[in-house]
Amino acid sequence: MSALDRLPSGDGDRALIAGTLCLLVGGLFAVTPLQAQLPGALYVFVEVGITFVIFGMLVLGLDLQYGHTGLVNFGHVVFFAVGAYATAMLAAQDSFAGISLGYPWPLALLVGVIAAALLGLVVSATSIRLRDDFLAIVTLATAEIFHSVFVNFEGIFGGNVGILGVPRPIAAVAGDTDTRMIATILVIGGLTLITLAAVTRLTEAPYGRVLRAIRADELVTRSVGKSTIVYKTQAFVYGAALAGLAGGVFALYNGAVAPGFFTIQVTVTIWIGMLLGGAANHRAVLAGLAVIMGLRLVSRFGLSVTPVSGDVFAAFRLVVVGLILVAVIRFRPAGIWGDPQELGVDR
Amino acid sequence: MSLLAAEGLVKDFGGLRAIDDLSVSVDEGELVGVMGPNGAGKSTFFNCVSGVIKPDAGTVTLDGADVTGDPPESLAHRGLVRTFQNTRELETMTVRDNVRLAAPDQPGERTLPALLRSGSMQDHEKRVRERADELIETFELDHLADEYSSNLSGGQRKLLELARTLMLDPDVLMLDEPFAGVNPTLTREIADRIRDLNADGMTVVIIEHELETLTELVDRLVVLQQGRLLVEGDPEAVLSDERVIEAYLGGDAE
Repeated sequence: MSALDRLPSGDGDRALIAGTLCLLVGGLFAVTPLQAQLPGALYVFVEVGITFVIFGMLVLGLDLQYGHTGLVNFGHVVFFAVGAYATAMLAAQDSFAGISLGYPWPLALLVGVIAAALLGLVVSATSIRLRDDFLAIVTLATAEIFHSVFVNFEGIFGGNVGILGVPRPIAAVAGDTDTRMIATILVIGGLTLITLAAVTRLTEAPYGRVLRAIRADELVTRSVGKSTIVYKTQAFVYGAALAGLAGGVFALYNGAVAPGFFTIQVTVTIWIGMLLGGAANHRAVLAGLAVIMGLRLVSRFGLSVTPVSGDVFAAFRLVVVGLILVAVIRFRPAGIWGDPQELGVDR
Repeated sequence: MSLLAAEGLVKDFGGLRAIDDLSVSVDEGELVGVMGPNGAGKSTFFNCVSGVIKPDAGTVTLDGADVTGDPPESLAHRGLVRTFQNTRELETMTVRDNVRLAAPDQPGERTLPALLRSGSMQDHEKRVRERADELIETFELDHLADEYSSNLSGGQRKLLELARTLMLDPDVLMLDEPFAGVNPTLTREIADRIRDLNADGMTVVIIEHELETLTELVDRLVVLQQGRLLVEGDPEAVLSDERVIEAYLGGDAE
C-alpha cells in the first residue's frame, strides 16, 4: 500500500494541536498577571495580523463553499455581518444607538453563529438549486439588502453609528495594551487554526470527496447515489456559520460594529485571497489572503514615503491589486499554490 | 414478474414528442438491447427511467415499486444505476477517487464521523479502498489509478465509468452507448465484461448503435422509432424484420 492509500491525518491534526496551544497560551496571557512586551514598531503588524486571522475563518468557509463544492457565493460578508450584529446586539450594554441587551458574551457569540447559519439555511433553501451564476447574483443581492437594512433601521441596528458598548472579554482581563494584543492574536489565531483543522478533516474524509464530485459534475454524483442538495446545503451553511463565528469574534474584539466594517470590500478581499492562493487548498487560500493583506500593510508604509495624497495612493493600490489578479488568472489560473488539474483549468 | 417496467411513458420537449406511449419491461437477469435511428427516443427513455428527467405521463416500476420521477440518487439506492452517452467522468478527480466515490453507505460522508474521524468510517473506508482497487485492477486501469480522469482516453473513460458503477453493485445496470468511440479490441473487452456481469445475475439494459456487438451480446432487442416501440424480440428475428430495415434505411427505400 502506498502512502496515498492511508487516510491522511497529518495536516488537520497539526493544526488542531497548534490551535489548542495558541488558545492556551493566549488564555494564559489574558488571565494571569503574565505580561507581554511588544515593540512599538510591531503594533501595526499585530493589528493587521488580528484582522488576518479573523478573515482567515471567512476564507476557509468560502473555500469550503466555492473551492470544494463549486458554490459561487458573492455575498459572504453578509454572514460575517449577521454574526457580528447578532453577537453585538445581544452582548452590548448601553449602546448609543440600536438594541443592546446585555446578555453574557458566550451566549451572544453562540447566537451569532446560529443566526448566520440560519440565514445560510434560508438562502440555501431558496436558491441552492440555481446554477452557479444565479446563486452568485442571489448572494450578492442578499448582502446588499442586509447592508441597507443595517444602515436604515436605526432603532434596531443603530444606523451608520452601529452598535457600541460591546464587551471585549480579552481586553477586560488583560493587564495592558501589549498583553491584550498578544493574547488577542493568539486566542483568535487559535480559533482559526482549529477551524483549519476542522475543514481539513472534513475535506480529507469521504465527505470532501462528495463535495469535490459535486463541483466536477453534479448529475454524475447524483447518479451514484449521493443527495447533492443535502451536501450543497450543508457546505453553504457551514461556510455561513464559520463567517458568523468570525463576525461574532470580530464584534467581541472590536467592541463595536457598524455598517462600514461590512462592505463588499470584505467579500472582494477574501475572494481575491482565495483565487490568488489557489482554491480547494486550505493552506493556499490562507496564504493567498496573507499576500493580499500583506500588500495592504506594505502600502500603508508606502503612503508615508511617496509624495502623493492618500486618495491617489488608495486608487493606485486598487490598480496594483487588480493587476495581480489579472496576472494570476492569466498565468496561473489555479492560483499560486492551486492544482490546475484538480481545478480543471489545465490547458 | 418483470424487474423494471415502463408503462405508457410520454415525454414532450416543447412541441416535440420525444417518446410517445412507450412500454418496455425487462425481466430479472435479462440482457436487453435498445436500438433505433437517431432521434428515436432511446436516450429520453433512459433519462425518464433513471430519473434524470420526469416523464409527462406513464409509470416506471422497479422491483414492484412505483419509482416514476424519483431522483437518480434514490434510484441508485434501490439498485438502478446508469452510465451516460458522453462519458461523464469527474475529470478533476483521480481514477481512484472516481471509483471510491460511488461506494454506498459510507459513514464518512456525514459531517460528524468525518470531523471525529470515527473508527467505523476508517474501517469502512479501508474496505472501500480495497474494493475500488480491485475494480480498478479488473478493468486494467491500475497503471492510471492516480491520474486525473481528464487524462484518460475515450475507451479508458468507458471502462472507468463501468468500474465506478459496479462499486454500487447494482441490480439493474443501464448503459448508454458503452461502445461509442471505443476501438474494436476494447469493445470486445467491454462486451465480455457485460456478459460476465449478466451471467452473475445482473440485469443489463444497453443502448447502442454498434449493431454487430449488440446483437451478439443481448438476449432481446427493443427497437424504437419516433418515440414508439417498433419491434421487440429475439435479435436475429428483429434484425431481419422488414419494419426495422425500413426504419434504418428510410421509408422511401422501396
